[in-house]
Amino acid sequence: MSWEVAIPNGFAGETPYIAEMPMDTEIFAGFYSRSARPLWAYLARVSSDPALADDLMQESYLRFLCSSAPEQLLAEGEVAARRYLFRIATNLLRDHWRRPRASSIDELPEEFFAAPGTAAQADSQAVLGPALALMRPRDRQLLWLAHAEGYSHHEIAQITGLASASIRLLLFRARHKIAGLLRKQSTTQGRKP
Amino acid sequence: MILRSCAHEKEVAALLASGAWPHAVASDLQAHAAACRTCADLVLVSKAFQAARARSTAAAPLHSPGTLWWRAQLRRRNAAVERVGKPLLGAQIFALVLNLLLVAGFLVAQARSGLSWLPWLQQLPQSALLYIQGFIASTDFTSASSLAVLIPALATLAILSGVLVYFASEKN
Repeated sequence: MSWEVAIPNGFAGETPYIAEMPMDTEIFAGFYSRSARPLWAYLARVSSDPALADDLMQESYLRFLCSSAPEQLLAEGEVAARRYLFRIATNLLRDHWRRPRASSIDELPEEFFAAPGTAAQADSQAVLGPALALMRPRDRQLLWLAHAEGYSHHEIAQITGLASASIRLLLFRARHKIAGLLRKQSTTQGRKP
Repeated sequence: MILRSCAHEKEVAALLASGAWPHAVASDLQAHAAACRTCADLVLVSKAFQAARARSTAAAPLHSPGTLWWRAQLRRRNAAVERVGKPLLGAQIFALVLNLLLVAGFLVAQARSGLSWLPWLQQLPQSALLYIQGFIASTDFTSASSLAVLIPALATLAILSGVLVYFASEKN
């Protein structure tokens, strides 16, 4: 059954021109299967909140589909579409942080990521989670986009809306800081019996 | 903080991104990365983030793309309906203003003509049936000026009532 069939016929029949989406369903399904996991990882790691990441990921895709240019973006290449998706997600994260809240995201626990895994995974998780939690949200974004997603400085500037010239310095500072935290934490863990 | 760049930074970053580090890397570059603070930070952070990415992507909960597609379609439709509705509201307001002007014009015209139907209205409680012919005679429907006023007035009332009914149904 195609997805369009699920739409009530009466409503769909009233304004057929409105129902036209600027993207094919199968193309979107393929794009989604390739981009959803990295996007969720980015949102979950930067926000430290998997539930929020889930919501923001869905909203990102909705906005992506409702925009006037998803097909054009895919025609430019999936890399451009994915970058656009990350930009939407970044803006949603920023909007979320700007909203008044009862608690800061820095205070949220990291045990969401305490899923059972291999020893190497658990070790990496135990080290990166607390270190990342000590970083500012913007630094987390920059670090994730650069070192987890492998985006260039120019691409990071496009996603975050920051000046391209300042990305290098901001990233250098953030990397220096988190590297210090990682070393400190690994030293502390090494001392523990 | 001083931005210290290293000549090998790009090379190290490319090897890390391709997954070649450390197995497919020359020993002298590995030795450099161990000694250079910038490259050491790059290696440490990149490996930590790559491991975190692998773990997080594996744990990512995926939803049905069909559901997302359906929701996006509904959102687009709602937005389109809202866009279409805006000029309609403007047209309704314009029609209402026009009707009010017509009513005002009608009242002014009646006031100038001396309200010839007022005596009939005063006598109406006595007997509506007896004086109905008197009303017809006093309004003088045959004269062109009265018809010119009466027809737009009736049309105005009809349109006004239609607008009122529409607003009432909209609220419901």
